[in-house]
Amino acid sequence: MLKILIPSMFMLLTTWTSPFKQLWSTILMYSFLVATLSLTWLAMPTDTGWFYINNYMAYDPLSSPLLVLTCWLLPLMIIASQNHLAEEPENRQRTYISLLISLQIFLILAFSATEMIMFYVMFEATLIPTLIIITRWGNQMERLNAGTYFLFYTLAGSLPLLVALLIYHSSMGSLSYLSLTSLPLTCSNLYANKLWWMACLLAFLVKMPLYGVHLWLPKAHVEAPIAGSMVLAAVLLKLGGYGMMRIMIILDPLTKELSYPFIILALWGVIMTGSICLRQTDLKSLIAYSSVSHMGLVAAGILIQTPWGFTGALILMIAHGLTSSALFCLANTNYERTHSRTIILARGLQMVLPLMATWWFLASLANLALPPLPNLMGEIMIITSLFNWSFYTLILTGLGTLITASYSLYMFLLTQRGPIPHHLILLEPSHTREHLLLALHLLPLLLLIAKPELVWGWTA
Amino acid sequence: MNPYILTILLFAMGLGTTITFASSHWLLAWMGLEINTLAILPLMCQSHHPRAVEATIKYFLTQATAAAMLLFASITNAWITGQWNLEFMSYSLPTTLVTVALALKIGLAPLHAWMPEVLQGLDLTTGLILSTWQKLAPFYLLLQINPSNTSLLLILGLASTLVGGWGGLNQNQLRKILAYSSIAHLGWMILVLQFFPSLTLLTLLMYFVMTFSLFISFKVNNSTTINSLSMSWSKAPIISSMVPFILLSLGGLPPLSGFMPKWLILQELTKQSLAPLATLAALSALLSLYFYLRISYAMTLTMSPNILLNALPWRLPSNQHTLPLAITTSLTICLLPLTPAIITLLTL
Repeated sequence: MLKILIPSMFMLLTTWTSPFKQLWSTILMYSFLVATLSLTWLAMPTDTGWFYINNYMAYDPLSSPLLVLTCWLLPLMIIASQNHLAEEPENRQRTYISLLISLQIFLILAFSATEMIMFYVMFEATLIPTLIIITRWGNQMERLNAGTYFLFYTLAGSLPLLVALLIYHSSMGSLSYLSLTSLPLTCSNLYANKLWWMACLLAFLVKMPLYGVHLWLPKAHVEAPIAGSMVLAAVLLKLGGYGMMRIMIILDPLTKELSYPFIILALWGVIMTGSICLRQTDLKSLIAYSSVSHMGLVAAGILIQTPWGFTGALILMIAHGLTSSALFCLANTNYERTHSRTIILARGLQMVLPLMATWWFLASLANLALPPLPNLMGEIMIITSLFNWSFYTLILTGLGTLITASYSLYMFLLTQRGPIPHHLILLEPSHTREHLLLALHLLPLLLLIAKPELVWGWTA
Repeated sequence: MNPYILTILLFAMGLGTTITFASSHWLLAWMGLEINTLAILPLMCQSHHPRAVEATIKYFLTQATAAAMLLFASITNAWITGQWNLEFMSYSLPTTLVTVALALKIGLAPLHAWMPEVLQGLDLTTGLILSTWQKLAPFYLLLQINPSNTSLLLILGLASTLVGGWGGLNQNQLRKILAYSSIAHLGWMILVLQFFPSLTLLTLLMYFVMTFSLFISFKVNNSTTINSLSMSWSKAPIISSMVPFILLSLGGLPPLSGFMPKWLILQELTKQSLAPLATLAALSALLSLYFYLRISYAMTLTMSPNILLNALPWRLPSNQHTLPLAITTSLTICLLPLTPAIITLLTL
């Protein structure tokens, strides 16, 4: 664990002391090294149980896929940011890279935390670099509003979580993951216990996001620069899912009744945000709402608390992380050429950039959960476990799948097929860098078809 | 100001606080507070600007009222119990009166109205002294008395955090913002006073460090409004990049050190079964965070080399001593991992 964490920390030093001409290559190389080393975390000789590194950091089959995704994402973010930062002054480029690296450090510490307060501190700590990335390097005036919404939605949800964790700690004595399984808070039907249950989950539901509290997400994703969008979509939303999975253990008897409205809200959110996607004019906004839709399914899967639900949720989180990040990178390739996010301004791109159309195709297919991709595996497992819980959810989830397919196809057809608009005279050909970026996103997704056991957690 | 006069005044301020620290007799404590007040008055109006003089008068009147109330309470206590010792106040009337008097002295809500206006009239350095040093003596006295009424301190604390949050939202004058920030932090300190007094001291010291960084950062930029902060990136780019972290630390965001007092206070409050109060106080910190965030937007996060928001100031080499700023900024940002050590120090 430390052989990943300490090099990541020292990459901060590398950022500031590298000669400027070699900055991006150096950082890219080191982050790829760290990412490759992190793949060792996927090798789990036993199916359950923790791999203790020390008293404070550990990983298990739930957190190791997310850790590997985090480490994998840093080189991808660096590849993606290289172009739009090229004209900035030197110190600002270094600052941007430092923010990305510090975000990775906080995320590694969050996913490998063994104690809930450490997880909480790191969960909150990821807000600061993300806030700075969104508000400083975003491109439109609305980014300030986006940053404010992002920070305050997340904090308003997570401060009650802090109090709830402290309540649990004062009555149970420990918040270490190891002992959580044996220490559920004894349930009496006091209203206060229900408020405590709500306080525990609210932070993660806001982060995921659940449909009613999702308003920060379209703003933040759209206004963020490409690396910000990538890390938000791929990893930060999964922090919410991961936290929820960890904390479900102590919430046990209450969840059977109290989770009802949230499951319904999540499923309704799948349909609503999917429908909104069909009416979007802004490409990044479409992808952002698609993220809300997929994560609604993840939230429902986790709240069901069945083995298939958890497994499906984890697989969908990983697969969606890669897919959504790939889609944002594709949207960014459009943005860098036309400096506009409006979909209809950049259509018919298959004529102009045919190789990029391949990546658009694959990413759209992944988004609509085509078999045999892991996206489908996750969705099918969640839908099945929801069906087991109640037959009627099939209406909502089936409709949701249909709408997901519609908007993914809509996005693909609108951007790639059809005639080229008359004003698109001069578009740069696709850079090799962009092809590499998308290959690195989609290749793990394709490889996971062969061995989904790597990412399906400890319950299946 | 004449350096001899300045020395005398600063010594007198120190003397006043030290007398209060060293006292176990109420009259001596009151005397220390009065010396402290009188010594800072010339410092406050040294610029002879009418606004500064107005601030001085307001400060004098409120502090004199508070001191008189304190004297009255201690005399009442002496009348009832027959002794003047600080620790042995066992009747509710004198104790409550002392608490309210000290609340007026430090500017807790609902006795906070003088604070923004007084701070607005002062220059940044004197404002810093007002926000930090002047709070020490009253806090010492608050720590000594046993509170008679549990809910009085909780009401003062919660009201202060809420007023500090809401009051600062409509301000664009930095000194008023700092005043409301001070009120909010004092509220946090008072919340935990009766349960875990060492935490009050910890919060006070952390607040001193953070607010010192912020005041001195503003002083280096010589700016007193949010608008004038927007050119600070050209005068002092590194300070501009550190100020968002100082502000977020004041807002209590992990992993910065400002989170430490808030976390420990919330822990203590939940242990005392005051969880709803803890949640309310935590959420009221979000209000303050909004205007801290707004300042950081203006100062750092919207800088651009192309936009001239004001006329560019002359950039002359600066003789300012920024070592204290460097030290306190480092402490403001990096102190959270030392929490276990600090708790151990507190509970010794």
